[in-house]
Amino acid sequence: MSVNDAVIALFLENAARSAAVVHRAEGAEQLRAKVSEIVGQEGDVFCPLVTELEKTAAADRARLVSDYASALVTVEEVSAAIAETGSIVCASSNGKAVQASLLPSHHVAIVPCDRIFATLDDFFAGFAAALPTNLTIITGPSRTADIELNLVIGVHGPERLDIIVV
Amino acid sequence: MSSQTSLDFRTNAAGAVKDGALRQAMRQATDTIGTKRSDAMESVDFTALREKASAIRMEVLDNLPAYIERFTTQATQAGASVHRAADAGSANTIIAGILKSNNVRMVAKGKSMISEETHLNAHLEKEGFEVVETDLGEYIIQLAGETPSHILVPAIHKNRQQVGRLFAEKLGADYSEDPQVLTKIARKALREKFLTADAGISGANFAIAESGSLVIFTNEGNGRMVTSVPPLHIAILSIEKILPSLADLPTFMRLLPRSATGQMLTSYVSILTGNRKEGDATGARELHIVLLDNGRSEIVKGDCREMLKCIRCGACMNVCPVYRTVGGHAYGWTYPGPMGIVLTTLLTGMAGSHPLVDASTLCGACNDACPVKVPLQEMILKQRVRRVSEGFSPAGVSMGMRLFGAAVKSPLLFSFGERLVGWLWSLLRRAGGENVVGRLPRPAKSPFSRRMP
Repeated sequence: MSVNDAVIALFLENAARSAAVVHRAEGAEQLRAKVSEIVGQEGDVFCPLVTELEKTAAADRARLVSDYASALVTVEEVSAAIAETGSIVCASSNGKAVQASLLPSHHVAIVPCDRIFATLDDFFAGFAAALPTNLTIITGPSRTADIELNLVIGVHGPERLDIIVV
Repeated sequence: MSSQTSLDFRTNAAGAVKDGALRQAMRQATDTIGTKRSDAMESVDFTALREKASAIRMEVLDNLPAYIERFTTQATQAGASVHRAADAGSANTIIAGILKSNNVRMVAKGKSMISEETHLNAHLEKEGFEVVETDLGEYIIQLAGETPSHILVPAIHKNRQQVGRLFAEKLGADYSEDPQVLTKIARKALREKFLTADAGISGANFAIAESGSLVIFTNEGNGRMVTSVPPLHIAILSIEKILPSLADLPTFMRLLPRSATGQMLTSYVSILTGNRKEGDATGARELHIVLLDNGRSEIVKGDCREMLKCIRCGACMNVCPVYRTVGGHAYGWTYPGPMGIVLTTLLTGMAGSHPLVDASTLCGACNDACPVKVPLQEMILKQRVRRVSEGFSPAGVSMGMRLFGAAVKSPLLFSFGERLVGWLWSLLRRAGGENVVGRLPRPAKSPFSRRMP
């Protein structure tokens, strides 16, 4: 196994441990199939359609909406992932609306395999110059344990997080 | 419950001990967190990490004014307005002023212990603003009209039946005692508030001097909502929350969630740098950062400066035998448990809080749990010394200590005292009451020292 394969494997393991649902896809065809399988027959889908992967993933344009606040699902490519913690990273760079990963109850994150960092330190080392206005590190779905320390998934943010490594 | 004061700690604690539901809830909660915490620590080198974290925090405290200056410059450059508040009153006034000039009616609020310290909600409500707490635990206690009893799990003292009845009564929901159902009720009620709030108020776990960023750890997502959905965001934090640079953050990302809730990482870590800029689709259009001093500039110069290393994880209270028994409300102010004893006496003065220094067995469990090596046990001892030197120890105790001091200096007087106690034991028992002398063992007929050859 090359170093990168080990990092991907660790990322998938830790992400799954944080209660995210993890998938792998090789190439455009598999990605498209995976996304439509995950999104299924749910309601409105928001996809920024900015990157090539997003354009590939959102093949079924009929259900796409432009307003993420009213969508049930967001499908988007995220800017990075961190293996140490199983996290994905959403950034406001390039006019991206980071809230799109928060308001809908289902978040489908596409992670290019060359954007996975091994550790938190590796990830932050890339930000020497300027930070985007909003940088959000997401580890699993929204959760709370405020009532008798009972874990409940899905409070104000998504109750389901799918991660597809491409 | 909410009106308890620190001066009444003994009465508060005695009442709490008799509250079966509270003790059951506290025991279950602190045990669960404790187990999760030790499990989570197995994946890291705790000793090395806390050493590193402690050194970073000391570096900031050693150069606090310079770091505040640096943070202010960088945050301003990123588009934020930074305000310095000398005390709780001025922080509240600054925030009310910002809200007024923006014609705000309703504020969605994320969890912030600093805003509890300044009693911000009460102030804003008096000024006519509607303030909605959006963290589930804070929302529960706001509906109940109470204050947090734990810095991370504010409604730790409430069981599911109490929450169910509260939601049925205040929100008109069907009674349920299923945490899943109750959480969904709150999600629905609060979603509308997020989308219609004119402003969001949040705290911050850290502020990064190098970049002027705020760092907020949350699990529910409400922290993300209040900082990015409303057009105006006000963050309130105390001056010592600064970290030098982004490179220091990983250490605290590894330590804080593990120490606090036993998680590898919270669901969300938001790093917010300035307001929404040209071309951005995220972020508040206006960002205000209120840096609260409230006596900290003085504390950092004194012999309890290490208290300001604290990152508010709550680990010390979860392991404290006193906190675990009496819960957070008995302490009577914002911060309970071992860190609360030290912070309350330092920030509010000995006159209004001195009974708290007794709320410790000095077992040192807090020292072992602290992820930034705050010497809590030593600091509680220092506060006990301060209580004596400032003249707040109870008259009986002072008198007793003086008599004992005189007696141990003279062997003759001491052995007379020993005999005297033996003779008067049954009388003393009745005089002191069952709860005081009654718990001590009866003195030996012939003291150990006299049985020595």
